[in-house]
Amino acid sequence: MKAVVFSESPVFLKMAAAVAQSFGGDVIGISDSENVKFVNKLYIIDKMDEDGIVDLISSLSPDVILTGNVRRDRAIAGRVAGKLKLPIVTDVVSLKVEDKKVTLNRVAYSGMGLVTLESELPIVMTIANTQLQPKELQPTVEKVQLKEGRVKIVGRKSTSSGVNLATADIVIGVGRGIGSKENVKYAEELAKALGGAVGGSRPVAAELNWVPEDRQIGLSGLRIRPKLYIALGISGQPQHIAGIRDSKIIVAVNTDKNAPILENADYLVVGNAIDFCKVMLSKLGKK
Amino acid sequence: MNIVVGFKIVPDDQMVKVVGDKLNTDAPLKVSTYDKNAIEEAIRLKEKFGGKVTGITVGSNDRKSIREALAMGVDEVIAILVKDPDVYVTAMAIAENVKMLNPDIILFSEMTTDSGTSALPAYVSELLGLPYISNVKSLKIEGNKVTADRGMVSYIETVESSLPLVVSVGGEINTPRIPSVKQIMESSKKPVKEVKFDAQSKVRIREIKPMIVNRKRIVIEESDINKAVDKLIEYLKSDGVI
Ligand SMILES: Cc1cc2nc3c(=O)[nH]c(=O)nc-3n(C[C@H](O)[C@H](O)[C@H](O)COP(=O)(O)OP(=O)(O)OC[C@H]3O[C@@H](n4cnc5c(N)ncnc54)[C@H](O)[C@@H]3O)c2cc1C
Repeated sequence: MKAVVFSESPVFLKMAAAVAQSFGGDVIGISDSENVKFVNKLYIIDKMDEDGIVDLISSLSPDVILTGNVRRDRAIAGRVAGKLKLPIVTDVVSLKVEDKKVTLNRVAYSGMGLVTLESELPIVMTIANTQLQPKELQPTVEKVQLKEGRVKIVGRKSTSSGVNLATADIVIGVGRGIGSKENVKYAEELAKALGGAVGGSRPVAAELNWVPEDRQIGLSGLRIRPKLYIALGISGQPQHIAGIRDSKIIVAVNTDKNAPILENADYLVVGNAIDFCKVMLSKLGKK
Repeated sequence: MNIVVGFKIVPDDQMVKVVGDKLNTDAPLKVSTYDKNAIEEAIRLKEKFGGKVTGITVGSNDRKSIREALAMGVDEVIAILVKDPDVYVTAMAIAENVKMLNPDIILFSEMTTDSGTSALPAYVSELLGLPYISNVKSLKIEGNKVTADRGMVSYIETVESSLPLVVSVGGEINTPRIPSVKQIMESSKKPVKEVKFDAQSKVRIREIKPMIVNRKRIVIEESDINKAVDKLIEYLKSDGVI
């Protein structure tokens, strides 16, 4: 069994390697960093060129190809599958390999469903998450210079805000219902008082830029697991819920008492999000 | 310009519901959310550069949804019927049917609301041997040159490539137009070509279960927000989260 693992994200690379190690064969890693200690063989690439990475992975004729789940990983996984005409399953949450057959679980229906699938090896998959930890290995290392691809990267702008929502205990999510970029300050003040951090729905983060883009919570953003999540003016579409499902307690504040978020909330305070923040702040101050 | 846009007809994600221990996916059909952004972008390209927009859809051939795409401005739709479509079968069906159209650009969305693999546009690009740019937030074409901003969540990447190519777009790229009554009426006269495609799927579905988390669902509604917040704080204290 030969498994190839790739991810642009060090965290996902580690998770993918842990899954790959569990198959018991050779694990080949591809990364632009030398600091990868959980594969048998490591190819260090000189650039994040997708054409080049797709060619490199395909040339290794693996039995299993595992990538992480960030956007570049998904693009590469889909292309490798297409190039080799292999089955592909993305967002894998658990799997079992027997002989040449694999049974996988993945989320679907925008996070509302858990689907069990079956396929034969070889296969391409993207790993959603795993608690497995890889063992440390001493890989043999080979540096690879990728050829110039057909898509040239000419610029890169970080949207990083230096806050890690994934590990925060209390998260306040703002949605379109917060009304404006200026109003986000009320959420920030409340977060500060509670010792939490502010994130947002996709429209607010990726489109309106009321909060930094890397704080988008949901299916296509961050999946968080705080003790307390407060959704301010968020309607509760399945794609948003997919990111907050593991929260211990979910509070929603919404002017609409029939907002779909009620289905997935512990408490729904019917009211204006700004008023809520102001009152909450003053009460917490009085404590 | 020969423009092709892929779209999928899916159960409305806002109507898919957990019923008991089942996920009821038997909801009204519609064009998947971001696929409408792909259609919008395709039509804008046609408005700018001329040419034709061919829509292509695999799986359901629901007439109402196909007409939605036609009413927005798609000129013609190829609806492909397949058995058990997985990514492989769908991609093969699309590649087989768009080759002869000689497309300059093929647009998809970054993810559908049902299977949501993000894999299809990438798969198709390889079958056709075309470059691929995923998660496009903005797209500019001048002559043969393509410049795109990709939304990668923790960063935005600007890339350059050239036609012909495949792109996938996110919901941020535009606001899909709402067709006029006249456009809706006229859409019934536009051609829909139904074709069959036969291939064995590589991934089989065994079971679909709902993801259930039981929530308390307590509504706190007071005429005075002060009272509502007091109640909430009491609840949160007894839950031990503040
Ligand atoms: C493939 C795909 C992936 C997606 N990924 C994500 C994702 O990762 N994360 C995500 O969030 N979304 C995602 N979405 C988008 C998602 O479907 C919804 O469009 C989005 O979550 C809605 O954001 P919202 O709740 O902020 O806005 P809206 O749906 O506009 O809701 C605003 C809410 O605010 C309430 N409101 C209005 N005024 C006030 C007020 N003054 N006080 C209190 N409440 C008020 C309204 O009643 C309403 O419920 C995705 C969609 C697709 C198709």
